[in-house]
Amino acid sequence: MAAAGERARAWTNEQLKSEDLPKKEIIKFLQEQGSDSFLAEHKLLGNIKNVAKTAKKDQLIAAYNQLFEKKCFKSTVNVDNVSEKLMNVKIDDDKKPKESKPEETVQEGPPKYIKSILKKGDKINFPKKGDTVHCWYTGMLENGTVFDSNVQASSKKKKAAKPLNFKVGVGKVIRGWDEALLTMSKGEKARLEIESEWAYGKKGLPDGKIPPNAKLIFEVELVDIE
Amino acid sequence: MAIEELRAITQRCQALQEDAFNGEDFDLFQSAGQRCLEEGHIAQALEIFQDEKNKVIIRCMGWNLVGPLVRCIRCYPQQSEKQEACLRILDQMVQLCNPKELLLGLLEQVEDACGEDISPVISLLLQPLQTVLMKLGDKKAYSVGLALSTLVNRISTLPVPYSKDQIQQDPHGLCRCCSSLVTFAKPFVAEVVKRQEHSKELKSELLKFCFSCLKYPLLRAHLDQIPKDTEEHSLWLFATDILDFLWLLGEPLSKVFLQQGSTPHALDEQDLSQDDVLYCEDSRACLAYLLFVHYIGMNYFPLVFSPSFLLQCNMTHIEMLLKRMEESMLSKGLDLFENCLLRVEDNSLLHQYLEIKSFLSVPEDLVKVMILCPIEHLRKKSFKILQLYIDKLNAEGKYKLFRCLLKTSNHSGTEGYIIQNIKNQIDLSLKTGYGRKWFSGQRLIPLLHTVLSLPEGVETDLLQNSDRIMAALNLLRYLIIKDPEYENQTEIWTELSRIERDFLKPLRMGLNMSKAHYEAKISSTKQDRRESHIKTICTITAGGKTLPNMTPEMQLQVLQSALFTFDLIESVLVRVEELIEVKGKVMTEEQIGSNEDI
Repeated sequence: MAAAGERARAWTNEQLKSEDLPKKEIIKFLQEQGSDSFLAEHKLLGNIKNVAKTAKKDQLIAAYNQLFEKKCFKSTVNVDNVSEKLMNVKIDDDKKPKESKPEETVQEGPPKYIKSILKKGDKINFPKKGDTVHCWYTGMLENGTVFDSNVQASSKKKKAAKPLNFKVGVGKVIRGWDEALLTMSKGEKARLEIESEWAYGKKGLPDGKIPPNAKLIFEVELVDIE
Repeated sequence: MAIEELRAITQRCQALQEDAFNGEDFDLFQSAGQRCLEEGHIAQALEIFQDEKNKVIIRCMGWNLVGPLVRCIRCYPQQSEKQEACLRILDQMVQLCNPKELLLGLLEQVEDACGEDISPVISLLLQPLQTVLMKLGDKKAYSVGLALSTLVNRISTLPVPYSKDQIQQDPHGLCRCCSSLVTFAKPFVAEVVKRQEHSKELKSELLKFCFSCLKYPLLRAHLDQIPKDTEEHSLWLFATDILDFLWLLGEPLSKVFLQQGSTPHALDEQDLSQDDVLYCEDSRACLAYLLFVHYIGMNYFPLVFSPSFLLQCNMTHIEMLLKRMEESMLSKGLDLFENCLLRVEDNSLLHQYLEIKSFLSVPEDLVKVMILCPIEHLRKKSFKILQLYIDKLNAEGKYKLFRCLLKTSNHSGTEGYIIQNIKNQIDLSLKTGYGRKWFSGQRLIPLLHTVLSLPEGVETDLLQNSDRIMAALNLLRYLIIKDPEYENQTEIWTELSRIERDFLKPLRMGLNMSKAHYEAKISSTKQDRRESHIKTICTITAGGKTLPNMTPEMQLQVLQSALFTFDLIESVLVRVEELIEVKGKVMTEEQIGSNEDI
C-alpha cells in the first residue's frame, strides 16, 4: 500500500522534546500507527497510562523515529509477520492472567503435549521462531492407525521422498508441533503425544482421517534447520 | 490405376539406395499412395507396406500418407475389413517409419481435427503416438512435451459435460479422451520415476502437462455434479491420476500448494519457465479444490498444518475463483471456502488475519456473489458461507469485518443482515461477556453510529433502504430494552441524544414526507383509473422483450406495498420512541424520588 510509506510525521523533533507534548500523546500516536510486533518490541502495548508510567520520554522519541525509519506501520505487515504476530499475541495473553481464565488453567492443568526423546540431537542447534525446519515424521492415532507419514517403508522409494519443511513457531502447523519442535535440537528424534486441543481439536479433520477430539502421536525427526 | 502407379514407383525405388531417392520419387509415392487409399485399394496398399523389399521406402516416405490413411480409417465403418486393413497399414508405418517424421505427421492429424472429430482422432492416434515417442529413446522429452501440449490443446476445445446426463453420456467424448491421455502419459511418468535425475527435461514436460490438465478440463468440470455412487467416473479417475502423477514426478503436493504464500510463482524454478506461470494460478486453485473439497490426493498431503494456515493459503485461490463468472469456477471457490472454514473452530480465527488483503476482499466478493450472481443456488450458498466466516472470527475480527462490510456492501439487505449480526454479538456480550471489549462501551459506539444513521439524512430513499432501517430500529429497540439506563453497558443511553438527532428525527420526518408523497400518488392513480386514462411513462424491457405496461391496478398494488413498508418502519419507530420516553420518565421520576429522600 502506497500510503504506508508516506505517512506524515505528527511532530517535529523540537515539538517532541518540548514539555508541551505529553508522553501519552506520543504513546497514543504510536499505538494507533505502529504494527503490533513493533509495539511489542518497544514494550508499548497495553493501557496508555501504564505505558506512560514505565516509558521514558527519550525512549518514546526513539521509538517514534524508528517507526518512521523502519516503517513498522500497522497495515504494512506482510503475511509471514502476521503469523508471527499471532504468536506474540498468544504470549501476551499468557502473561495477562486477568484477561482470560482458560489461559490460567492451561498453565496449571496437565501439559498439552508430552515429549519423549528417542534419539538425542546435537543439543547445540535449536530452531528459532521463523526458522525453516526439515523433518521426517509419522503420525498415529492412539489406536496405532498411521494417518500420515513422509517416511517411506521401502528403501527404494526413499529416494523420491523428501523431508517436510516449514517455518516453525509461526502458526503454520498445529500448536503441538510448533511448540515441540522449538524444544528439539538438530538430529533429535522424539515421540510427541499431543492432546487434541493442540492438534485438530473438537473438529478433527473433515475427511475423517482424524476424528474429533483425537489425541495424536507423532514420531518426529528434526533433520535440518535453516 | 493408382495401385499400378504405386507399384511402379516402389519397384523403381527398391533398386535404389536410400540417399538416391529424389523429390520426384517422394511426390509420386505420395500422390499414388493417396489415390490408392481414396479409391479403396486398401488390401493392395497393405501388401506394398508389408513387402519386406519396401522397408526402406516406407521408412523414408511412408509418413507422407498418414493424412490420407487417417481419413480412410475414419470413413470406413468400425471393424469392417477395409478399416482393419487401414489399421494394419498404420501399424506398419509405426513399426517402420522414421519416428521423428511420423510423429510430426501424426501430430498434424491431431492438430487438424476439430469438433466432433477430435475425440475419435485422438483415441485412434494415441497408441501409435505413444509407440513412436518411445522409439525416440533418451531424446524424447521435447517431443513428448510437444505431443502432450498438442493433445491438451485439442481437448481444451471440447466442452465439459454439464448436466448429470451429459456427465454420464459424455457426448463430446471429453471424458474418454481424458482417460486415454492418462494411459498415454503413464509410461513416460514411469520413466521419470525410474531414471530420476536423468530425466529432468521429461519431468518438466510432464509437470506442465499435469498443470494444464488441472486448468482444463478439471477446473471447468462440474465434479460436484457427478452422482456419488459413480465414483469410478472417468473425470474422477482423471483427477486422481493427475494428482498421482504430480506425486510420482516427485512434486510434493504440499510444496506446490504452500509455496505460493511467500514467492507467488515459484513452483520449482528449474522445472517451469515464465510462460507456465500463466496457467499456474488456475491450476493451483484447481489442485487446492481437489485436495480440500474432494480429498483427492489427500493421501500425499501432510496432516500437520493448522486449519487457519490452510485457510490463509487457500484465500488466494478463493479470491481468484470468486471473481470469475463461470458457474463451475464460482462454485469451486465457494466449496473451497466453505471447506476451509469448516476446519476452523468458531471464534478462533484471529483478527490479525484481516490485515491480509484477501481476508477482507473475499467476504466483499462473497457479498457480490450473494446479491448479483444470476444462479440461485450459488447466491444461497454464498450467503450461508458469509455467516460461517463471521462465526469463525474472534470478537475483534467480527467487529472489524462488520465495519468493513457496512462501508463497502452498498446493499440494504446485506447491511440489514450485518446489523442483525451486530445485534447477536451485543446480545452474546451482554449475556456471557464474550467479546465485551468490542461489543459494548467505547468500541461499540462508533459502530452504532454507523448503523443508526441515514446515509442521506431526511432525503434517504426509505424504500430502498428499508431492510437496513428496519434492522437498525430493531437493534435500537433491543438495546433500550435489554440494557437499562442504570447499567448502560453499551453506552447507548449516553449517545441517545445524538442518535435522536441523527437518526430518529430525520427518519420520522422522512417517513412523513414519503407517506404523504405515496398517498398523493395513490389518489392520483385512482383518479387516473376512474378517467381510464392510461399514460405510458416508460417502457421496460427484460431479455430484449418489452414488458407490458403496468395496469393502474398493478401500479396501485406497488404503491400500496410501499405504504405498508412505511407503516412497518413507523410501527417500530413509534415503539422505540415510546420506550425512550417511558424509560426517560422512569429515570427522571427516580431521580426526583431520590432527591426527595435527601
